[in-house]
Formats: sequence, structure tokens, C-alpha cells
Amino acid sequence: MARITLNGRPIETADGALMIDVAKEAGIHIPHYCYHPALGNPGNCRMCLVEVQGAPKLQPACRLKAVDGMVVRTDSPAVQAAQAGALELHLVNHPLDCPVCDQSGECGLQDYYMTIGRYKSGVAEDKRHMAKRKPIGPHVMLDQERCLWCTRCTRFLANVVKTAELGIFGRGHGQVVDLAPGKVLDNPYSGNVVDICPVGALTDRDFRYKVRAWYLESVDSVCPGCSRGCGVQVHTSTKRPWHNEGRRVARLKPRYNPEVNGHWICDEGRYSYKTLDQDRLGKVLRLRPAPAGLSAVGTELSWDAAWKEIAGRAGELMADKGAGGLAVIASGALSNEDWRSFKKLFVDSWKVVQFLFAPEPDQVGPEDSLLRRKEKVPNLKGGEALGFGTEFRSMSWDALARSIEAGRIWGLYVVDRDVAGVWGPAAAGLLGRLDFVVFQGPFKGGTGDLAHYRLPSTAYVEEEGSFTNFEGRLQRYAKALAPLGAALPDWEIFEGILARHRAGKGEAL
Amino acid sequence: MIITRHFDEPKLHELETYRKLGGYEGLSKALAMKPAEITEEVRKSNLRGLGGAGFPAAAKWGTVPPADKVPGPRYVVGNCDESEPGCFRDRVHVERAPHQVLEGLLIAAYAIGAKDAFIFIRGEYGRPHRALQTAVKEARAARLIGDDILGRGFSCDVMLMRGGGTYISGLDTALLESMEGKKSWPRQPPPFPTNYGLMGFPTLVHNVATLAMLPHIAARGGEWFAKIGTPKSGGTMIYSVSGHVEKPGVYEFPMGTPLRAIIEAAGGVAGGRGLKAVIPGGTSTPPLSADDLDLPMDFDSVRGKGSFLGAGGIIVLDETADMVEVVRLIIEFLSHESCGQCTPCREGSVWTERILERMLEGAGRPGDPANLERVAGNVTGRTICALGDTVGIVLKAYLKKFPEEFAALAGRNESVMRQEATANG
Amino acid sequence: MMGLLEAMRQVQEWHRCVTLEDEAFLAGLFKTTAAHVHEVATFYPAFTAKPVGRHRVGLCRGLSCQLKGAPRMAAYAEKKLGVRDGQTSADGRLSFETMECLGACDCAPALTVDDELQGAATEALLDKLAAELK
Repeated sequence: MARITLNGRPIETADGALMIDVAKEAGIHIPHYCYHPALGNPGNCRMCLVEVQGAPKLQPACRLKAVDGMVVRTDSPAVQAAQAGALELHLVNHPLDCPVCDQSGECGLQDYYMTIGRYKSGVAEDKRHMAKRKPIGPHVMLDQERCLWCTRCTRFLANVVKTAELGIFGRGHGQVVDLAPGKVLDNPYSGNVVDICPVGALTDRDFRYKVRAWYLESVDSVCPGCSRGCGVQVHTSTKRPWHNEGRRVARLKPRYNPEVNGHWICDEGRYSYKTLDQDRLGKVLRLRPAPAGLSAVGTELSWDAAWKEIAGRAGELMADKGAGGLAVIASGALSNEDWRSFKKLFVDSWKVVQFLFAPEPDQVGPEDSLLRRKEKVPNLKGGEALGFGTEFRSMSWDALARSIEAGRIWGLYVVDRDVAGVWGPAAAGLLGRLDFVVFQGPFKGGTGDLAHYRLPSTAYVEEEGSFTNFEGRLQRYAKALAPLGAALPDWEIFEGILARHRAGKGEAL
Repeated sequence: MIITRHFDEPKLHELETYRKLGGYEGLSKALAMKPAEITEEVRKSNLRGLGGAGFPAAAKWGTVPPADKVPGPRYVVGNCDESEPGCFRDRVHVERAPHQVLEGLLIAAYAIGAKDAFIFIRGEYGRPHRALQTAVKEARAARLIGDDILGRGFSCDVMLMRGGGTYISGLDTALLESMEGKKSWPRQPPPFPTNYGLMGFPTLVHNVATLAMLPHIAARGGEWFAKIGTPKSGGTMIYSVSGHVEKPGVYEFPMGTPLRAIIEAAGGVAGGRGLKAVIPGGTSTPPLSADDLDLPMDFDSVRGKGSFLGAGGIIVLDETADMVEVVRLIIEFLSHESCGQCTPCREGSVWTERILERMLEGAGRPGDPANLERVAGNVTGRTICALGDTVGIVLKAYLKKFPEEFAALAGRNESVMRQEATANG
Repeated sequence: MMGLLEAMRQVQEWHRCVTLEDEAFLAGLFKTTAAHVHEVATFYPAFTAKPVGRHRVGLCRGLSCQLKGAPRMAAYAEKKLGVRDGQTSADGRLSFETMECLGACDCAPALTVDDELQGAATEALLDKLAAELK
């Protein structure tokens, strides 16, 4: 335990804690570029200099360890002058191309100029010129002139991802940050370098020139891309549809969560937002399945009508042929709220016994030791907790196909799974044998066209809820956008059918 | 004279001659002592680091942690990456008396318990490197390097490494990075190399001149050595004297010898011209004035005059020297050699270099001297290592000492030039 | 990665440069990344991406040498050797470069050939070198 005095305030902290962290904890922001809690403290930017009583020189707060009795000032005239002086030196050769820089509005140079700078420029010399707009990978654009050589990107790539695509080559004022010979910045975590770059040297090729940062709104969410459940911020732009090609989500950023993802997210998750507004289902439809090659003909229904019809038809068929002939295909993409209503409808009320939840083969993908998990759905654990565990998941797609062919199955309720994608061309024939097919999901796809009822559900950014990640950690996510069209959260759809089913049977709601 | 005493001996670089002149007797005596006893002699000797910092050698040794606190190997590194403009004594020394350096290195290794010692020599020193290589070979053959040295049970190997041609590698922590096969970006102490050095193990880095004092201290005792110098700096200092003098070369004088005596030994100002200034310790040290000639040359006295004894690289500047051009050359050097790691040094050096260039090209502005002063203030004391500090220290010193020379170049501002253009039609 | 600089120096001597292929080889040998080796190769002036001449003539441009006429000697060397500062002759015979302090201020302006000190640069010495270096 160290008792220190920070800007006149007595503070108790751990012995040896870094002053920059201690100050942050106390609500005091010390300017910095090179320091990053997950990447270390090389102390090269010299922005975080603070005054320590008894020390002859100002000390970098990112390397200053708290010692009992230490008296530190982050706001003295000497400190302010040093920090402004360091900022000026960062800007001597900076191109100041803010009007065409995508970092504008969230740039470390702009922010500190306004807070600790505000000096009159003393630069009369020409600026250094280096490469601009250099694509260095599928997702990242490099502008060497804007670089401050804080080395966050090179440290991230060398020490976290261990791929070391970038280096700082040359020496002194002639050095450049660049790709190592023969390398392309295409590792599965490349987008993180954009987040950690304090300036506009590394920008996101995807986000560049789409929306100004200050037009964005941010909502905390959880990435549904795999069972890790990384914390993300959903950055939306809804008031200016002429920006961002009309897409409402402009980007996803990692949201710091020390227990789950630290500071990072993977590129798969980061760029998953692009399709959120694409190929969405917006209408509640009753379909007459069409012959192969033709689109289904649909009749739009109200939710009430659809729920009544589905409850009624399922009720008839179950009375006639037994609940054992109805199969339900769902996945760990359901939220915990969805799973609860799912259970009420299918297990408690309809007594369905045929379930298929296995993530294979359409919901698995690459994994690694950093973040990415094989199961590309967020909430298998949530389902398990309600009893939809491995015993249910053991039912295979092949077994289901054989049951359909053998006539043991008369109905299929598909919750956001790509049946056509798994069964391929055989899907149409298999589904064509059934008396009752419901597809429920946010996106168009092969399956939706083969169903008798097609129900639009919300994407995760349009609802609030919670996922339980692979470690059993329950995480809430918030609603960032209004649902598209008539889309409802899955749980509301299940509840709607359940209510009509009970009403039809005269049960109390 | 201690180090340079036998420099005139033509075959001093050969083991046989070196031993005939008493070489390796210091090592022999040292190996008969306990390591702590050697440290005690060094403490009594008031030997200070001769590479520039002037830190008391025994105090530095004292910061090497005991083996029970920090287990693992210890290393000694002889720093011969002499690259500061005005300094060349290590080149001459290593070429003339390589065994003297090796002997010192082995004594230091024994004192701190190192079984591996290194000499890091700048890559451009072709002949000195070869002299060392030959000396190591000779010494190994004579069982002065390797297992069971002189039959006293102490084993130590010596390895030579060459630099890649950067000034910054001469800084201890940058040198270690270079040895480890990385670019010479200085580490930021703490921890210091004596705690966390080569490959993370306690490492003693000394200038080769400092090491070469050890055989003599071991042979003749710390008190003898201390008596040669001043009360706070024992022994001698080896100077490289160059610039506007008649006889540039290496000169050794007891600590505290007046500057005048050293310049006179070098034949005085060339051509009988008047003296303008003297750089006392290499170009990174502020210049002394012509009327500082009676200054006793030791770490503390020179410091008292706002400069540094540095590595003893004395550059004499006569009355013809253009001090703005001199400081531009110095800053150009520092800017060229800035490693690029920390911002104030990287940007401050090249910015001030450009301002000085512009002034010397005749496009000076009235605000330039004040701006140089301000930028210098934003660099010194704000950088990771001493190279950065130097940029500001040197600039400020020249601005303060020769303000009229800067003012003369700052006078021609744009409005004056416009008026001239109008007047000339 | 102890020894990387020495190994790279050896490569520089063999090939008179360190090519990207050499870097890839060294990265494998020292079990390090391409970025690391390229950082080292580009940081130190001892290593060059393009081949230097069979002989490298260096003239010091340190302060003491400047005071003793280094700029005049540099101009003379460029003329006499037929190579501009920092360039290599078309036949690959020699390179000429003005260098930061060579640590030979006692023989200013210091001249080196292949890291061997030749003494103070004079017109006569440069004439001799221009004729001798093959």
C-alpha cells in the first residue's frame, strides 16, 4: 500500500502502481500516446510528464511507480508547459490534413491541442513528406505522414497477435512505419491497429469517408459472432442516410472487458456489421411454395393473423399426427430471453421432442488462442442452461433428413438456420414433403422461400437481451436501432404463437 | 601518465612487450585479492567513469546486486563505440595498447563475478578491431583469457562485437540493445544495466579508458591513484585534442590540470591566431570561453562552468570560427544520429537544424533565436536518453555565449527584404 | 538474437549489401521476424540495401574535420573519384561517402578506405587512391 498525494489529494494505491493508472482511477487524465495498458509503457511520446516532489526532472507518469509518500502534480505550470511542448514537437511535421482525415473528431492530436495546447505555431519550416493512402491489408490504410511512432501498432502485432507485419524502419526523423518485407496486414485481428492508433496514421478502409466520428451514436453491445461474446460498441448513423451508403450501423468497436476480450475484437466480428441491413426480412408472409426456380408467392399477414394461423395449423397437425412429427431447428444465436419463450412454446406447451441445435456445419469456423471460438453463435450455453444441451444437439442433420424421407416428420419450425445451405439442392425436395414449415429469422435465404410461413425477426442490434458465453458469463446487450419493417424479437414471436395456441385450447393466458 | 605512458613503444600492442613493461601484473595482483577488496581499492582511488558521465566507478559496482538476490550470470562490457565528434583517444588507445584494455576488462569481470566479458567497438575502427582480435588471441594462448586464468581458478571469456555505425550505440543501454541484435533504441532506466543489462542480467558497462585504469589501481593501490587527481576525481584524464591546434593528438593529464596546459601541450592555437572558444568534452558539451583557460579540468570544475568534461574531446576554435555554423554542424550531427524513439529528440533536433540552416542561408527571421531557445527548452530534460538532452543543452549554450552571431543572422526578415526589393526597383 | 549484427555485417561484406533475401535468411537463422531484421538492416548505416563499391572511401564530416577543410576535400574527392557523395561508381569499383565523425580528428579531415584509416585527406592522397583502388 502506498499513500501518495496527487494534485494535493491524498490517495491510497498499490505499491508500484503506475502513476498514469493511479491518476486515471482518481479521475485525472494524463495525456499520452504510447502508453496502452495492454501494450506496455515504452515512454517514447513524452506526453505524460508529471512533477514529482524532490525529483530534478519531470517524470513520465507511464513509468512512474507509486511509492509511499510520493507527492505528484499533473497540473502545475511546469507540467502544462512540458506537455504542450511535447505536443508541439509531435505536430512539427504532422501534415495537419484534418479536413480530409478520417480520424478527425477522435484524434489524440486534436484533442490535446484543444485541452493542453492552444499555442501559436512556431513552425516556419517545410514539413516532411512520406507515403499517404497506402493500403497495407484488406482492412487498414496507412498514412505515414501522420504517424507519431508511438509503436502501439508494432507492439500489438509483435506481442499480442505475434504476426509482426509492421515495423519502424530507418532511423531518426527519416524513419517510417511500414509493412515488413513480404508481409500484408491480413491477420484475423488487423482492425485493432486502427483503434489503438492515436492519430490518423492507421485508418479503417471500410469506415473511411463514410461518416464523421461526431455524427455517430454509440450503444454497448455484445458481439454475436462466436461463443466468446466480446464486448463491442455499436456505432450508428441514422440521421443522415446519405452517409455510409444508407447503412445504419457505421462500425463496431471493441468495448473493454478485462474478463472476456480485453481491448480487442477480431476482424470477423468487427466487419460483421456490414450485412446487418442487407437482405432483411421485413414482412410477415404466408407463402405458397413455388416450383423450383420460381419465387414463392406470398400473402402479407398481420402478426396477429400469422400467430393465429400458425397456432391453429400446428394444433391441428399435432392432434392429428402427434407432436413427435414436428421438428424444431434452432441455434445458439438465440438470446437467453428467446430461449425462455422458446422452451415455453415448444417444450412446455407443444411437447416437441425433435430438436436440432448442433452448430455444425453451418455455424462453425476458425478459432485461435486469442479470442476467436469455433462455434460462431453467441449463446449455446444459454440454451444448455434451459435444458437444450448436448442431448438435444446430438440430433444430426442426416438423421433429420432420413426421418423426413421416411415420413416420420410432418412439420419443421426453423429459427434462423440455413437449412438450404446444409442440405443443398435436396432441401427443396425434403421440405416439399412436409405439411408445415415455418421459417423465422432476420435475413432472407434459401430456407425462407421454402416455408409456409416466413416471420421476420430482429437483428441483435434491434433488441435488448443477454447472451451466456462459452465460460458461462451472462452479458447484457442494449438496443441500438429500431427494428426493420415488422420484425420482432424471437421471444415475442414465440410468445405470440403461444398465446394464440392457449386461447385456441381455451387455456388461460 | 598512466594509460599512455608506453604509447611510444612500437610493439606495445604485442603481449610480449606489454608484459615486459609490467602488463598483466595488475591482473595477477587482483586475482590474489578478494573481489570485495578490489572494489575497495577502486573506491579509494576515486576513479570515475571516463566515458562522459563521470559517475564514481566503485559506486556503480556497488549497484550490481549480490548473487543471492539476483541469481544468474553477470557481464562486463567495455564500451569502445567512440563516435562523438572530437573524440578519438579510444581508437589510439585500443590500437596501441589493446592488452591494457583486456587486462582492465578481466579485473572488472573478476570483481563482479562475470564469466563473460565483451568489448563493443565501433564498426569503422578497422585497425583497432584487428589489434583487439590479435590481442585476444594472444591472451587466450597465454591462458590470460579462458579457463583458470593465471592458474588462479578464475575463468572468463572475452568476445568482441562491432557496432553498426550509429552514435547512439555508445550509450550504455542502447549498446546493450545493439549487442542483443536489435536497433539501438535506448532503454529507459530504471532499471539500470547493473541490475538489468545484457539479456536482462546484471551488466557493468564501462568506457575502455575507465577499464584500463584498473590494472594500475590493482597494481599500485587506490590511494596512489587518488593522489594523482583531485580530491573527488582520482587519476588522470585522457584527452583527444583537435581543431585549431598545432599538434592534434591524444594527451593524458592528471585530473584538475588547467585547460591552458593541455592546449599548450598540443602546440597552442594553430597559426598563432586568437582563441574564440574551446569545446571541452566532445561536441555534445557546451563551449568554454577564451578566458576559461585557467579552469582546472575535472568533472566537477567543468560542470561548474556549465559544461562537461565528457569524454575529453577538446576541440579548439580560433577567432575565425562561425559559431552559428559550428552549432549547426553539431545539431545536424545529433539530428542525423537521433535514434527516432522519443519525440522531443527526433523532432526537436531536425526542426532546430532546419532553422539554423535557414538562418545561415540568409533567410533568418527576427524571432529565430528566441524560437530556438524555446524549442531547446522543450527538448532538454524531456527525452529518454542523454542524446536528446544534448540537443537543447548545446543550443542554449551557444545562444547564450554568442548571441550577437545569432542576432546578425536573424536580422534579415521578410519585411526588410521586401523593402530592399522595392528600393532596388 | 545476440550476434545478429555480426552476422549481418558478414553478409554485407559478402554481398556488399543486405538484400531482402538475405534478411529472410537471417530471420530464419535467428528465429526472428522479418520486421525485426528489416528494422535492424535499415537502422544501421553499416548495412545497405543496394551494393556498395568494392572499396568504400569515407571522408569525415565531423566538426574538427570541417574546421580543417573537409568540404573542400569532399568536392575534390567527388571530382577525382568520379563518384558523388553517397553513390557508387557505375562499374561497382568504389563508393564515396561523407561520414559522421570517424574518430580520427587528429588527422583531419580524416579519410578511410574500407574502415581503414588512411590519414588526413589531401589532394595527393586522393590522387593516389583514385589510381590505386581497383
